Amino acid sequence: MVSTKLMERIAALEAAQHGDMVPAAQVWDLVAAVKGMFGQDDSVGTHTKGSAQLYQELGELAKFINQAKKELTEVATGDVALSHLPQATNQLDAIVAMTEQATSQIMDECDGLTMFHNDLREKLLSMDPPLDPDALAGIDDALTNAQTSITKVYEACNFQDITSQRIQKVVKALHEIERQVLRMVVVFGLQEREGDLDADTKAMLQEDAALLNGPALAGQGLEQDDIDAILSKLL
Amino acid sequence: MAVDKNMRILVVDDAQTMRRIIVNLLRQLGFTNIIEADDGTSAWERMQSEHVDFVVSDWNMPKMTGFDFLKLLRSSEKYKATPFIMVTAEGKRENVIAAVQAGVSNYIVKPFNAATLKEKLVKVVGDF
Repeated sequence: MVSTKLMERIAALEAAQHGDMVPAAQVWDLVAAVKGMFGQDDSVGTHTKGSAQLYQELGELAKFINQAKKELTEVATGDVALSHLPQATNQLDAIVAMTEQATSQIMDECDGLTMFHNDLREKLLSMDPPLDPDALAGIDDALTNAQTSITKVYEACNFQDITSQRIQKVVKALHEIERQVLRMVVVFGLQEREGDLDADTKAMLQEDAALLNGPALAGQGLEQDDIDAILSKLL
Repeated sequence: MAVDKNMRILVVDDAQTMRRIIVNLLRQLGFTNIIEADDGTSAWERMQSEHVDFVVSDWNMPKMTGFDFLKLLRSSEKYKATPFIMVTAEGKRENVIAAVQAGVSNYIVKPFNAATLKEKLVKVVGDF
């Protein structure tokens, strides 16, 4: 049975409700009232261990909301949402650009080495008088091995595409965190910050969360062997 | 059946680095007639003016994904049977199944090496 006192408090909350927001202090009051009610009511005095845990968690929730409100005030003041998170995403974008540039340079050098090897091979083959066949074969083997190494360097450059996609995934997650923090700032009555938001940011607040796509981490998703097994059944 | 090493291969990927890697590995395997596009839309446009014998395409791309590009090819009379290898970082079972149902010839998950690329090419066009 719900106590009259609790019903009165819920009614007061409903009357005082502003939009979808309920001030944390009132939530705390409500939780305290719920706790009080169960403490006085003999019919639920024998409440189960599960319900006792529920009261405890409600209390913790109220504390969390109060703490979150304080921290969000600091977030808004410290411009974490408006400045630090965008800076972090910019830094990650810069990492992607730098790795792309460095990878391109590595591949340029690989191409240069390949051309050098090809030129060297042609010059050695066209030498007059010709080189000793055994010596020429040895040099050819060495150049082939060198080319194999260059190919492996190329293969290793796969990392840039993979890490780039993963970083883009993190950037999207940061954008989502930024969006949610901004939304919470507004929800918790910090509308005074709204004047600081530009039109894009306001629009971003209303956007649906972007789908997070990117390469699977190791151990997640399918490996080539798994894919081959599926293909063998389907193709 | 002898593989024509001069067949025209179209490499489609929005990441220039990955295009370059694939092109280089194909060259290492002896293929020299390679052209590139950075998404499905530009690839499709290119295929209207140039005949393409083989396609190697990424899945995740802007404008038109590799999957949509594959479906587009399979719906065209000219390219409905053109070999198509999907290369992607998305190792999801449902993606592989969807690609097979759409008519993909084979599927490579990134990162990959020259040996894997050759193995897939052999499965699609025969030994070389």
